[in-house]
Amino acid sequence: MKIFIDPPNSLVLFDLVERFGHEPLSAMAAIQERVDNIEIDMPPMNVTLDDVVKGLKYAGVEVPSGVRGRLAVWGPMIEEAEAAIVMDECPYSFGCVGCERSNLMVKYLLKRRGIPVLHVDYPEDDAQATDLVARIKEFLEGLQ
Amino acid sequence: MSEERETRLFMISPRSMLTPDQLVRMVHAFGEEAIVKETCYGCLVEGPRSKVLEIRDKVREDHPNEVFTKCRAYPCSDPRRCRAQHGTRPGFAQLEEEWALLARIQRGLEAVDKGAKPSPREERKKLSVNEFKRICEVQE
Repeated sequence: MKIFIDPPNSLVLFDLVERFGHEPLSAMAAIQERVDNIEIDMPPMNVTLDDVVKGLKYAGVEVPSGVRGRLAVWGPMIEEAEAAIVMDECPYSFGCVGCERSNLMVKYLLKRRGIPVLHVDYPEDDAQATDLVARIKEFLEGLQ
Repeated sequence: MSEERETRLFMISPRSMLTPDQLVRMVHAFGEEAIVKETCYGCLVEGPRSKVLEIRDKVREDHPNEVFTKCRAYPCSDPRRCRAQHGTRPGFAQLEEEWALLARIQRGLEAVDKGAKPSPREERKKLSVNEFKRICEVQE
């Protein structure tokens, strides 16, 4: 099954989803399409007119361009997904490389789609990490 | 996802005794037609998708819980990303953060292999009206 991961470029989630036999939908694959097929200077920093139009489907024109740009890449993946895993409170999904508004929009879009979504917390110690792995394994095996 | 080219990032868990050099030698020894580039955290492997996935499976067979992988959008040594060619290398802050987390995930995977189950979560209950009133009064 196709699993959307949030953060969409997370190494841990990408690896775990593949390890337990599913196909992760990640930002890397979406950006690779733009690197290989469309000759734009530096995706995802630079976008095409199509991306801007796609972004408008998920967020209004008054929303900051960073949110709309992110959703132009992530939105089609959310539509394609059959299930999703969301890691809450990731330190790197907020700040210079992240955007909290985009994260909230992603959670809203996932809820609106009505697909099975697993929310896990960013692990702070070994016990929480074990719980995270076990929870993800149980969720992914339950989808088969 | 592109069928022609896949670039994959292999990252070694900090709890592992494997070094990037050993990992690269191991991947070379598989004899697959792929470009392998050693990095500080492990290596990058680039080639046709089927070959790269074969390499991934072989690496997982030898080091099941120590090496983690994800695909990468840009090819190896792309001047827009490669630091050797004065690329910007955005995203490295996240990789560094996740590298630190891999030690815990490795331990988690080992525990799950031994049969660890997820701990039951406390169900969120609705707040009673009296409790809500008490909170409101405290905040005044």
